Amino acid sequence: MTESYKPSLQPWQSGEARESALRVRLNRFMGLIQRLVSNPTTVMGLAVIVSMIGIAIFAPWIAEPNFPDPYQMPRDWGAVRKPPGTPGHILGTTNVGGDVFYGVIWGSRKSLQLSLMVVGSTVVIGTIIGSLAGLLGGWVDEVLMRIVDVFLSIPELIFALAIAAVLGPSFTNIVFALSVVLWVKYARIMRAQVIQTKQNEYVDAARVIGDSKLNIYLRDILPNSITPVTVQATLDMGNVVLIGATLSFIGLSEAGIAEWGVLVSEGQAGIASGRWWASTFPGLMIFLWALAFNLVGDGLRDALDPRTEGR
Amino acid sequence: MQLRDYILRRVIILPILILGVSIIVFVLTRVGGSPIGIYLSHEMTPDEVAQIEARFNLDQPVWVQYIYWARGIFQGDFGWSGVAAAPVTDVFPNKLAATMELAIASGLVAVFLGISLGTYAGARRNRLPDHATRIVAVSGASLPQFWFGILLLIVFWANLGLAPIGRSDASIWSSISHPTGIYTVDAILAGSISAFWDAIWHLILPALTLGYGATAIIARMMRSSLVEELQQDYVDAARAKGLAERIVLRRHARRNALVPTVTVIGLTFGFLLQGTITVEIIFRWPGLGRWMADSVLRGDQATLMTYVLFTSVLFLLVNLVVDVIYAYLDRRVTLGK
Repeated sequence: MTESYKPSLQPWQSGEARESALRVRLNRFMGLIQRLVSNPTTVMGLAVIVSMIGIAIFAPWIAEPNFPDPYQMPRDWGAVRKPPGTPGHILGTTNVGGDVFYGVIWGSRKSLQLSLMVVGSTVVIGTIIGSLAGLLGGWVDEVLMRIVDVFLSIPELIFALAIAAVLGPSFTNIVFALSVVLWVKYARIMRAQVIQTKQNEYVDAARVIGDSKLNIYLRDILPNSITPVTVQATLDMGNVVLIGATLSFIGLSEAGIAEWGVLVSEGQAGIASGRWWASTFPGLMIFLWALAFNLVGDGLRDALDPRTEGR
Repeated sequence: MQLRDYILRRVIILPILILGVSIIVFVLTRVGGSPIGIYLSHEMTPDEVAQIEARFNLDQPVWVQYIYWARGIFQGDFGWSGVAAAPVTDVFPNKLAATMELAIASGLVAVFLGISLGTYAGARRNRLPDHATRIVAVSGASLPQFWFGILLLIVFWANLGLAPIGRSDASIWSSISHPTGIYTVDAILAGSISAFWDAIWHLILPALTLGYGATAIIARMMRSSLVEELQQDYVDAARAKGLAERIVLRRHARRNALVPTVTVIGLTFGFLLQGTITVEIIFRWPGLGRWMADSVLRGDQATLMTYVLFTSVLFLLVNLVVDVIYAYLDRRVTLGK
């Protein structure tokens, strides 16, 4: 970031100064929102994200939950391999009578869980480790960054695949595997940001007036370093679902759950006999999900750094 | 830093990274349990089990086992693949050839399409072709490869009957010898036109599926660096002296815009390597990726370890080469200024 404006406040600052700093912060935030919504593709992405989250939240009202486990696909043995448009099965059914519509709706919950859990845990772990490396420097930095280098040496998907394989096929293990693999990106970004931010004069100023190290970190360094992490996190909300669905497709989730990757995999068997629907709809959801977060992530990056706009 | 020092530093650090990866791979597979399972049967007595444990050094501490494993790797012993029912080293070369053929074909598709699309869009900034290319670029990063492949199969294989599945037509495959294992090359060596067409015909859809994502990455980079180059003074100078726009674009701007694009092309390698897993499953391509997927589901540890180690080393080497090329090009740029 090029901005060197220092938003946090020092104890000596008057109430008036505090207020005006708040106003500046608010203005900056409104400006960001304005730039975001002025980009039509970002708005499109946001609209898709809002609808997806809406589907996930209201799933029980859109498709009646299966008993006892709503994440298990319901089986209608009286309606096997039915095409889209069949009464009661608007998007058709799978080889074993699973309702494709049900999978599409409830799969959004699985994706939301997956992306929130993985992005949440990796952002926290990566931010902590990256901050430690950037703040402490020396041998701590050296050791942590060599570990990061080793983690980055194994291609993401292959690493996650190996971890999930060792732990056994389950959705929870996919969440765990992706968390183990993906924190390193954030650690790298955060370390670079912290090293840059801590050289600013306002950090020296805070140190001179005797702020505690933790205070300096929380009020001066962290807020001024976190921006690129938010962009990466937005992009990862989509990527995580893409990689997670790939692992499910390969067969590392429980069979028969309402998850988009599993459904695409199960639908694959039918395409030779012309049953295109069982793979197509769940796959389309994965695509839209990833696309929406990519569009918003790109929009966010442009809005935060106007230099890259239109590139 | 001098370029030579930079390269030296990177080369020195490489074995350390490989050591780190090998430790991760080993520890990881041990978390999943002892590999003794594949040697056991129900009739064995505890004594016999202990004998087998001792024979494969599984009664030793874990770090000693790691050293035995690493020593085996150095001696070319990668273990026994339960899925292939053969030593890993026996099966590996053929699978690797199949995967490389697919990855290289996809890479060629991606480089050609990516650079053309990127140039076309960059020269027509904010007009229709540019927007169309942006859609390709953004969708390429979001498209689940396995789903895209299945869509292609639904259209071209299941409905139109135009495209085949698998790697070859069995009768044509057996009509020529396969010294390299790379089908297209073998066909050329054998001078068989029908075999060559058969190879290409089987390659098209999987290469397109795998290459689409990489095309998007390359097109995007090409476009943005061309847009940047077109704003430089030397472009105005070239135009001012009366050169045709086509020449300005091709000989001047595009040539310079290729510099950052070349490094991105190197980075898409990891993308292609990972993508082979699902693409090989969908198109029943007998390569490393499908072998890995089978091994994962059937607990074939030796194959899993070899695959992760091999792809990581390859990935590291490619990244090293890319970084060195970039540092070299970058140095020339700064020296030129």
